[in-house]
Amino acid sequence: MFKILLMGNPNVGKSVVFSRLTGANVVVSNYPGTTVDYTKGYTKIGGEEVEVIDVPGTFSLEPKDVAEEIALRMLKEEKPDLIIDVIDATKLERGLYLAFEIMEKFNYPLIIDLNMWDIAVGKGIEIDLKKLREILGIPVIPTVAISGEGIKELADMERIKKVIMAKEKKSMNEHLREILRRIKEGVKDA
Amino acid sequence: MHKLKLTPEERWDYLDKLAEEVVTLKPRRLSLKDAIGDLTIRPLTGIPIALGILFSVWMFFSTFAGFFTDGFMVPLFDEHYLPWIQDIFPKEPSWLYALLVGTPGADNCFEAFGVLTTGLFVPFGVVLWAIIPLYLSVALLEDIGYLPRLAVLVDNILHRIGLHGFAIVPTILSFGCNIPGVTAARILETKKERFMMMTILAIFIPCGAQLGIMEETIAGEYGNWLMFAIIGYLLLGYFVVGWILNKILPGRSPEILIDIPPYQRPIWKNLTMKTWIRVKCFLVHAVPFVILGSLLVNILYIVGIENGNLTLVSFEEGDRSIMGRLSIALEPILAGWFGVPKETILPLVTAFLRKDLAVAQLSAIPMSMYQLFTSVVLISIYFPCIATFAVLWKELGFRGLLKSIAILIISTFTFGGLLHGLWMLMGVA
Repeated sequence: MFKILLMGNPNVGKSVVFSRLTGANVVVSNYPGTTVDYTKGYTKIGGEEVEVIDVPGTFSLEPKDVAEEIALRMLKEEKPDLIIDVIDATKLERGLYLAFEIMEKFNYPLIIDLNMWDIAVGKGIEIDLKKLREILGIPVIPTVAISGEGIKELADMERIKKVIMAKEKKSMNEHLREILRRIKEGVKDA
Repeated sequence: MHKLKLTPEERWDYLDKLAEEVVTLKPRRLSLKDAIGDLTIRPLTGIPIALGILFSVWMFFSTFAGFFTDGFMVPLFDEHYLPWIQDIFPKEPSWLYALLVGTPGADNCFEAFGVLTTGLFVPFGVVLWAIIPLYLSVALLEDIGYLPRLAVLVDNILHRIGLHGFAIVPTILSFGCNIPGVTAARILETKKERFMMMTILAIFIPCGAQLGIMEETIAGEYGNWLMFAIIGYLLLGYFVVGWILNKILPGRSPEILIDIPPYQRPIWKNLTMKTWIRVKCFLVHAVPFVILGSLLVNILYIVGIENGNLTLVSFEEGDRSIMGRLSIALEPILAGWFGVPKETILPLVTAFLRKDLAVAQLSAIPMSMYQLFTSVVLISIYFPCIATFAVLWKELGFRGLLKSIAILIISTFTFGGLLHGLWMLMGVA
């Protein structure tokens, strides 16, 4: 079965994305650390049976508490086909820090979910999506999970397959190297 | 090509550069949300707001529970259901009657003790109507984003006992049910903090089910103040034991930073769904223990041991039952050290399984208000309910569990004995 791991910092809305994707009822709250253990759910994306795992929030791959230890263990043991890194759009750098660390240390295809897009807009934070996508070279999808906006784009099997194929050609570690090069040199006429 | 390896500093450098490229901040005015957020964190305004919220939750809880329990459930159970079930059962005292219906001629479901009377009345007549408003309130506080702000507000106080302000979150959750409270303590950083938190939660924080019964029996008879006094005494224990543990346990309690999420409008569907998940958990996991608990104590009450053989004992010769013998054997401790009637052994046995049922059983034992105070404190702290016990075991491991139990036993004798001493000094023991 196709396996997706939902990772990200605490309180970015992973559990909301999870219940949107799977229709499963999980406890979601507005404080960091609601999910202290993993939850598995099942759904169909593009005709394919998919297992989705909601992982406790973590800031990095150097665990600081039991919930983060579980997150790291899931990453090592579950061997997912895809990781969706859920990022709070108002805290982009912090979310990408984890994404970079995952790309560096694990060879799993990755897509970015920029969640809480509405709050970022409300706070006057403007993210140049086109440029960000160009630099990262992986899908970046803005969502408002709590209302369901963008979840369909997130669960687009065609796009997911492309990411997986790209990884077959080039390891994520190499991909990260290219990202860093693009950051250093800047993208031409974005 | 060798594998790329970055240090955290390098990662941040690249990310800063990336953010500079793609993120622009538009200046904006301070919003109402920011203003409210600020007011709830500053001590001068935050403390009155916190007290106001606590009071509102209390009012909602007691009004809601009172409306359904006193308004519908008590009349339904005591005036219709109890006479009916006493009527349809064969009249002469039989062991089956004693197990299922309980004390013959009981006129209310608190004192009947039967599996089909008290065993059903406690969960469905009282506790259910107490946990619905409590769980709903906790869910609302969780969803709007108030809890992390409360954590900032109480950070100073909790640091005195070596805990981070965020420890308030497991504590608040524990007032609903100890189990999610104990598991929420996982996010504390060091082993020491987690051990301390889980231990003092399981010992001192009364759960929603217990509060519901207390509201019905204790507050109903003596007034809310007695209930507040008991909760106050338990919270005192929470702080004192926390403070001592912080001093004697090795390890550190580091500062951690927490994120303050923006306030959010609660979504009704999420609130009801979350409350339902938790209520369902009560119905599926707790109700069987209530029923099992009333069955167990009744069996201990009607079965005696004569010359190594089990025999049935009638109500009049209750002293010869297993429970009766147990109460006589433990009388020196119960009456001598704690100053409570020896019959209190029955609710104490029940409390292994369910504290709500145990507090309900207290109301059938004749005792003074002061003895009631001590008994409720004993029931609260001497053992976490069996479900919490299992979770503690899972979280702390066997050795941790043993340590936790040692602290629990010392706490029970200290805080129970202290009350007895206090009553003696006041001349009311």
